Amino acid sequence: MKAIELDARRYAWCHGNARWLMGLECAQWMEDLQGAAAANQRGLVRYVSRAIGEECAVMLALIVHHAKPIPSPQMRAAWALERIAGHDLHDPCWELIRGVDVDAEPPWKTVARCEALLDAVREIVGDAPNPLTPEGYHPALALARDWLKLADAVEEEGPLPSEWTKGG
Amino acid sequence: MRVADSRREGLDRRIRDYHGVALDEVLELIDYLRDPGDSVIAGGSLTLGLGNQRSDLDVVVVVRGGEGSGRMPLEHWQGSLRVDAWKLRQATIDDIFERAERRLNDEAAFDGAFGNVHEQADLKLLHRVAFGVHLDGAQLRPTRTRDYREIARDLIAREYAERMRTAALLGQLAVRSGQSIAAATNARLAVEGALHAVLAARGVGFTGDKWLEQRLAEVDPELHKSYRRSAILPRQRDGAWKRFVGRAIETCEESTGLDLSLASLGRFASFGNTDLQAMRIGKEDLLLSVSQGGLWRLEPDEAKAWRGLEEKGSRVLDVLAEDESRLCLALHQQGLLKLSWERGLPLHELSLGEVVGA
Repeated sequence: MKAIELDARRYAWCHGNARWLMGLECAQWMEDLQGAAAANQRGLVRYVSRAIGEECAVMLALIVHHAKPIPSPQMRAAWALERIAGHDLHDPCWELIRGVDVDAEPPWKTVARCEALLDAVREIVGDAPNPLTPEGYHPALALARDWLKLADAVEEEGPLPSEWTKGG
Repeated sequence: MRVADSRREGLDRRIRDYHGVALDEVLELIDYLRDPGDSVIAGGSLTLGLGNQRSDLDVVVVVRGGEGSGRMPLEHWQGSLRVDAWKLRQATIDDIFERAERRLNDEAAFDGAFGNVHEQADLKLLHRVAFGVHLDGAQLRPTRTRDYREIARDLIAREYAERMRTAALLGQLAVRSGQSIAAATNARLAVEGALHAVLAARGVGFTGDKWLEQRLAEVDPELHKSYRRSAILPRQRDGAWKRFVGRAIETCEESTGLDLSLASLGRFASFGNTDLQAMRIGKEDLLLSVSQGGLWRLEPDEAKAWRGLEEKGSRVLDVLAEDESRLCLALHQQGLLKLSWERGLPLHELSLGEVVGA
């Protein structure tokens, strides 16, 4: 047996949020990016790659530094980059957040940069099933439920968007 | 051919081209969610002439009686096309439009009432309904409010103008604190907010932040050029980022007709405490947040600024000394103080150049 050397509430919150970002947000962004690159929609390539850079920086801040809370969306990028200063993946995150020069860089190259960054972050955060595929949908929901159960058990807020809990 | 018919045909053609799937097959796929008479609306980028081969199709089934399925999308696949479906009661939709109308008539700031950058469900739902393509069933008509499109248009215009104002304030405060990345990222967000507001005011359908640049390129090359000046952040090694923020604020002011100077914005903005309390332990000054389970160590000048904030009892920006507002920004960047506005931006105060608020 090996102890997780972190307060249970903080562990549940940081890891639950990071897995959520990796599992759904990043899967969605990568799909957007691939679609944009194939259609040569360079404005979309720029926006989505920037979002991937920001999500990766936030995931690293959560997992490497157990940072809590996550600030308002307007401050997230600056907050996360400051937290991961000195980390090997800081510069790749910053270069994407800064904004890709889509006139100079072909879309396929931006896709490759994002994939490489996400692969490196996935090594640190852990993998998650892709809910945007038929085979990944139910496993992704099951994993999200497990993290929600842990969050509930330690009386922390779960990572699911609050709007998903609203009625129809 | 009617506009509605041509939009439906355009959508049908796009999903046939991308996926070899017809709209009729989509209707069959989600048929189990429907009762006779329920309306079906398609929304999202594909219905607005945007999107690509990897875009999903959003479908809203509007039920008159019975229960909805909640706000979490129900995923379906027809071949390679992903269809996200929501089954919602018309009463739920009309509640959101009614709430939107009420907030538009109120001077209070929206303050994330319809979602924030990451949770946009209400904003997107409003636009799916207002600007979507009617696929089947009875045409949806508002039961309690004016036209859906007018409300959706006005809501986006105001929501993004308010987001712009917040980003413009944070960007300028960050300049004053020497925080180049916070300054530049917020300056870019401010420009994006302003341009979203302008597009909405022109009646351009909204489908999320990510399509802004594509949209601008299509509808207004001049605005697109203006956006491109803010799309890439300057590097930090020289003073370029300060000029970048200044130019961005100018663009926002020109787009909205607002005075976005710190002096003007500072009268209405304040930083509210969450549960932070100062603790002096020996010679150390700490800030404690029980709810976050966290402690932050203060430098002597920060501790002095915190005491100044506590003595004033107010965190409205224009009464704060520079070191106090700098500390407020630093704590806001940590998620520990919440920025709020004494009042919103009613549409009649904006000069977006079109018919919003009519």
